[in-house]
Amino acid sequence: MAYLANRVALLILTLFLVSVIAFSITNLLPGNVAKMMLGLKGTPEMLANLENALGLNDPLPQQYWRWFSGMLQGDMGNSIRFKEPIAKLLGQKLAVSSILMVMSLLIAFVLAIPLGIISAVKHNRWPDTLCSSVALAGISLPDFFWGIIFMLLFARTLGWLPSSGYVSPADDFWLALKHATLPALTLGLGLMAHLTRMMRSAMLEVLRADYIRTARAKGVRSTSVILRHALRNALSPVITVLGLQLGYIFGGIIVIEMVFNYSGMGFLTYQAMLNRDIPLIQASIFVIAAVFMVTNLIVDLSYRLLDPRVQLE
Amino acid sequence: MTVESTTKNSKPADLRDDNRTSRRLLIALRYPKGIIGLSLVGSFAFLATLAPLIIPESLSTAIDITARHSPPSFEHLLGTDKLGRDLLFRVLLGAKSSLLISVSAVVLMICLGLPVGLIAGYFRGWTDLLLMRIVDSMLSFPVLVFALAIAAILEPNLRNTVIAIGIAFSPYLARVVRAETLRVSALPFVEAARAVGSSHLRIIVTNILPNIMGPVIVQATISIAFAILTEAGLSFLGLGTQPPTPSWGLMIQSARSYLDVAPWTALVPGMAIAFSVLGLNMLGDVLRDALDPRLRIDR
Repeated sequence: MAYLANRVALLILTLFLVSVIAFSITNLLPGNVAKMMLGLKGTPEMLANLENALGLNDPLPQQYWRWFSGMLQGDMGNSIRFKEPIAKLLGQKLAVSSILMVMSLLIAFVLAIPLGIISAVKHNRWPDTLCSSVALAGISLPDFFWGIIFMLLFARTLGWLPSSGYVSPADDFWLALKHATLPALTLGLGLMAHLTRMMRSAMLEVLRADYIRTARAKGVRSTSVILRHALRNALSPVITVLGLQLGYIFGGIIVIEMVFNYSGMGFLTYQAMLNRDIPLIQASIFVIAAVFMVTNLIVDLSYRLLDPRVQLE
Repeated sequence: MTVESTTKNSKPADLRDDNRTSRRLLIALRYPKGIIGLSLVGSFAFLATLAPLIIPESLSTAIDITARHSPPSFEHLLGTDKLGRDLLFRVLLGAKSSLLISVSAVVLMICLGLPVGLIAGYFRGWTDLLLMRIVDSMLSFPVLVFALAIAAILEPNLRNTVIAIGIAFSPYLARVVRAETLRVSALPFVEAARAVGSSHLRIIVTNILPNIMGPVIVQATISIAFAILTEAGLSFLGLGTQPPTPSWGLMIQSARSYLDVAPWTALVPGMAIAFSVLGLNMLGDVLRDALDPRLRIDR
């Protein structure tokens, strides 16, 4: 319990620092919100008035505090590009992206674990070479490249899945699932590749352990040794580092949603960046980082619950 | 994070028995992985340096609308793009921007991450706590999001792409360096140096730095590969290298709309990225085995 309190306190401190970073990097920008709102038609007087009204002449710490306290109350200001409250926009888009992220996480896990196990069990023979090559290919090519290849193959050529766009599951659940499949597959690929490599080395390590030899010696069936004795212990080092690996998914949504025209959080952030919509950039990178951190904490805690050897210090 | 152990049974015994770094390096580079990695990286560096010297800029920008989207042929070995520009020349010149950006970004990463990690790991206490909080909060942003935000806020161009990637990567190096510094600082020879009254700076530069270079080199090698991917991503999104500079990410971006008619326009730069990244990753693996025989963790 003390551990949990400690971690949450640390999370809050880090979140605070993250908000400072998100705020300050966007203030390095030459030009400001007022200029962007007025566009080219603004006169110097209008600009000065608007700057005053928005409080852009206040000292930076004061501006920061206004932004941060507003955000704590759920008020993130308005997007310049979309002219809508940012909190509302982000809420909608986060829900859209979470479908994608959960799906890609599942795909990565479901593919990586068997591939890693096969690699380790058939160490240095052709199935290992094959699985390791698949993993290496996943790491060595950018995700957007796979995205367009999948699109060409599964959508344009084979016609199995729609090539782009987003459909809400509330409207048509199956169609929504179909639309999410290709982006989720692409998004999960990088994570899958890394997990496979980790799974392989963790499994190799475990298979050399004495208790595995003992289990084999007393005549336990090979599949049972691998799936029950070895897998459980090999999984824990994989899950330990899963938290940080999730960065592949959180970073990937920007590119992948753009490739597949999937209107989620990543696409919104991308549009904010292209249009230099400062309030929206600040809020969305802060939200992405916050969700990333909370997911990380959950992964960490669940790992500690799953593995009884790990003490909650 | 890949937990990579030196896979004991797949290595010839001599690597584990020999402790001299130079010898270990020579042995490790003779593994198939080392040979392939080194030759891929070598040819990438060679082409990236040589191509701009022998291929006139005009050849890669020569627009020939009658030859647009022509498949690989004798005249255009790798085919042409939507404006009839020769893909071979463009991909070779793209290697230059890729190499230039990724290596400079990694140099910047080292300039930022190395001192922070050294100071945090050496002085410990409050300094460590403060620096690592900042590093951790930077790590809370996914690398690509962080790099994109910086690139979008500064103007997208070559220099700012380097800055964006360098800053976004630096906290990872800082963590590695800090962990190594903590380990080395506790060793007897550092204590001895302290006992004879060496200054902090002297201890850091002469005692600690040489002993943490192995992991730094490994991290730098892998980071170059990752920087190539990140640069391609930034350019693909239009927030990195700007046209008309040939860039692999940009080439894939512009090939996107013509995939049905001319798939090679995307495949050629894709393969270029794949081979260079693959080579660097393999080299990184081999260097890791050679420079550090213990269990290692990387990004």
